[in-house]
Amino acid sequence: MGWLWRALAGPILWAAMFSLVYALHGAGCNLGWQGRPVLGTDWHHMAMWLAWGAGLAAHGLILWLLPQGTGRPRQLIVLGAWIGLVSTLVTLFPVIATSTCL
Amino acid sequence: MTVTRPMGDRDIAPNEPMFDPRADIAPNDTRRALSLHRELDRTWRDEPGWRGFFTSVNHGTIGLRFMVTSFVFFAIGGVLAMMIRAQLATRQGAFLDVDLYNQIFTMHGSIMMFLFAIPMLEGLALWLLPKILGARDMAFPRLSALGYWCYLFGGTVIVGSLLFGLAPDDGWFMYTPLSDRTHSPGVNADVWLLGVTFVEISAMAAAVEITVTILRCRAAHMPLTRMPLMGWYLLGTAVMMLVGFPPLILGSILLEVQRAFDWPFFDVARGGDPLLWQHLFWLFGHPEVYIIFLPAAGALSTIIPIMARTTILGYGAIVAAIAGLVFLSFGLWVHHMFTVGIPHMALAFFSAASALVAVPTAVQVFAWIGTMWDGKVSFRLPMLYVMGFFITFVMGGLTGVMLAMVPFNWQAHDTAFVTAHLHYVLVGGFVFPMLAAVSYWMPLICGRWRVRGLGESAFWLILIGFHGTFFLMHLTGLLGMPRRIAVYPNNPEWEWLNLISSIFGMIMSAGFALFAFDVIMQWMFGRRSRRNPWRAPTLDWAMPLPAPSYNFASLPGPRQADASALLPLARGEGLLPGAPRGFRETLVVEAGTGRPDHVAVLATSTWLPLLTSAAIGSFFAAMLVGLYWLAPLGMVLTLIAAWKWGAIMGTDRDHAPAAVAPGLTLPLHWQTRNTLARTGAIALLLADGTLYAALLFGVGFLSVVAPAWPAPPSTLVSLPVIAAAALALAAMALGLLASHRAEAQRSHASGAAWAGLGLAAALVALVALAVVGLGLDDPRRHARDALRGAILGFAVFHGVIAAMLALRSLRDAQTGRLSEVRRGAAPIWQMFQAFWLTTTAVSVALIAAQEVL
Repeated sequence: MGWLWRALAGPILWAAMFSLVYALHGAGCNLGWQGRPVLGTDWHHMAMWLAWGAGLAAHGLILWLLPQGTGRPRQLIVLGAWIGLVSTLVTLFPVIATSTCL
Repeated sequence: MTVTRPMGDRDIAPNEPMFDPRADIAPNDTRRALSLHRELDRTWRDEPGWRGFFTSVNHGTIGLRFMVTSFVFFAIGGVLAMMIRAQLATRQGAFLDVDLYNQIFTMHGSIMMFLFAIPMLEGLALWLLPKILGARDMAFPRLSALGYWCYLFGGTVIVGSLLFGLAPDDGWFMYTPLSDRTHSPGVNADVWLLGVTFVEISAMAAAVEITVTILRCRAAHMPLTRMPLMGWYLLGTAVMMLVGFPPLILGSILLEVQRAFDWPFFDVARGGDPLLWQHLFWLFGHPEVYIIFLPAAGALSTIIPIMARTTILGYGAIVAAIAGLVFLSFGLWVHHMFTVGIPHMALAFFSAASALVAVPTAVQVFAWIGTMWDGKVSFRLPMLYVMGFFITFVMGGLTGVMLAMVPFNWQAHDTAFVTAHLHYVLVGGFVFPMLAAVSYWMPLICGRWRVRGLGESAFWLILIGFHGTFFLMHLTGLLGMPRRIAVYPNNPEWEWLNLISSIFGMIMSAGFALFAFDVIMQWMFGRRSRRNPWRAPTLDWAMPLPAPSYNFASLPGPRQADASALLPLARGEGLLPGAPRGFRETLVVEAGTGRPDHVAVLATSTWLPLLTSAAIGSFFAAMLVGLYWLAPLGMVLTLIAAWKWGAIMGTDRDHAPAAVAPGLTLPLHWQTRNTLARTGAIALLLADGTLYAALLFGVGFLSVVAPAWPAPPSTLVSLPVIAAAALALAAMALGLLASHRAEAQRSHASGAAWAGLGLAAALVALVALAVVGLGLDDPRRHARDALRGAILGFAVFHGVIAAMLALRSLRDAQTGRLSEVRRGAAPIWQMFQAFWLTTTAVSVALIAAQEVL
């Protein structure tokens, strides 16, 4: 069953990142982070960028640690890792594209 | 996999075997098939007559019952749909008054979703899974039966309410505040909330069953990575049900508690928010679309290669696509809420996810097209329905991508365009594949071949009728017609479109009626089918027709790897032949590799599922009629029934290992630790944890979004309450220690003492929680206080479970059910005890944080 957890690592990480960034978005709007400047942007954007960046780095780590060899278990691990990365990249892309609380 | 003789003129070439090619198990000696059949049938068949009807737990019987009952509800829902179409055919339709119209469109949606689609997939899974995986039954036969009775009772109450004019009338998604006590003062909304929750017990039971059966009850040496795709699809479905249904169950409980006791979870003036209901509903509601689609896709992945005389293209890609769908489908729910006033960034998250989910769906569609391209398609009746699926579902998928785009969604929201889209997706993605599945597996169900011509006529009527009804509805919606209106006197431009939709709706209904007639004719008058009529390689066809109660006289293994092993299996050359001990036995394997682990002794016919569902039903009935003081009696009855479930399990002696094959003996499940029950408890706790997470989501959501916050000052924090909470946590921790020690000392007298200590600790913790409850602020004052009451209720509920498991362990120890190798209920008790402790500790920390911050 170990290979199954490795295959699901990418999607699970996406689920965690999606939940985290969505929670940060809600909490930030409630706490007024969008009005607090930092490094040319605001705390709200910064917090979500950091979370998104850390998530992408973790996805990169999963890809870095892909097992060698052939066979269906490895194929599923590789596909799972890419599904996770692409999902995090696409679904959380709005953190750099839009305003936060409008 | 050996090459199977073709249905037509082309072999199904193997690309990879379903079994581990390195594994081997020697065959058993050949026996007379007839004597084996008699031995097994004596053990596995239902009891005769009406007694058998009420006591059956066999997956074949229960699965078929689910499917037949769901088709009956489908017919009722279909009649309601025709009434809607009759009403809308002209702009000032007088067929129904508005109140009745509201009930009918609400019931149409609710019936089709909760009483047809979900139970239909459950029925197919229960009936098919053991056959296609090479097992004799599902992992928990009594749970199958319990689920069926809850479904039947709950569904009957919901549908029966129509006869008394008390049916739900707030739309199938029961939005608050329309569904609260102020705006829906009658019992109509209660019928929905309580009835659906009662029915969903069957969904949770099925989800646990399906998960455990796929993971643990496959044929020996069938690894997960090689099992039939149907297994992957149903595993994905079951896991989604475990995670997807709890938010709906939680939402229904909270709304019913608000209606019954005025706890303001959704009342804006007191810190609640109607949007919390929408979030909880759609956290279930959108994954639900995929919960319905995945089993249908499993049927397609099974049927298409057979009809194309080839093997499925891209097994690995399809499995990955299933995983992608399972996860991504939980990131889409807000696209049902694009118009409620959500910030742009959040809209963009869910819009992107909604578009992205089309990719894994498309991977499957292209794999199926590629499979057909690679093979030579035979357009038998199941294949016609598959083609109907392609035409319909792809169109529904494309309008789905349109609706995923926020600007378009804002324009089309709540119009007939959405009605058209959802019917294209659900009928295309579920009904057509299910009709294909029924056509395909009917010979295995009834042993007969269908009457020529009827099925094809039904197909064309359904296809033409469906597209005639719903294709134009896109245009009706784009012209601005809202959903759920009964008349449209000032919009003559919608009338001709509606009239045409109504006419084609009647044609579609005629098609479904003809389909039902065809199935009945086949069942009653069809000529006897030859074995494996489709020349399929899968194990579901490696048995006589119709399928016997025990499925396989001996179980498939590496040497009986596909449907061509029909005769060797019938002669007992496979694993675990016959029923030499008079038990209903099936093989249990390690989840990943499929290596044989032990032999499970499954339940026999019993009244207990029926009585348990009646006990649960008494609780729901008391709530429904407003006799809240009587509801605890229903709970007590349920606890008594639950106790009986444990009481008839177990054994008071060590059994000899079972001879599975030459050189392979395995222990019976009483004498192992990693049992089906343990895997089932893990699955159940996954659902339980999701419900708790949804509750925490509710706390977080209301805290940051609801307008009437911060909540008024609390009087909860006081020395007695803090001391009681600390005592409760300490007692739970002691109980966890006791549960482990009770197992470790099970063969000594001290084991019983530890179990007794665990029971006492659970009771102390419950008393301490009661003290905390006395210190709560009035839950009717503010949503924060109501949520604290709900969190406390969650802890108490799990405390009762832990106490019962401790008591079960104590009784096991006192009645000689434990030994060096027999562990009783202790492993399960440990898991629930740990869950109770963990969630309560998190709850205490959360409330403490609320007070400090």
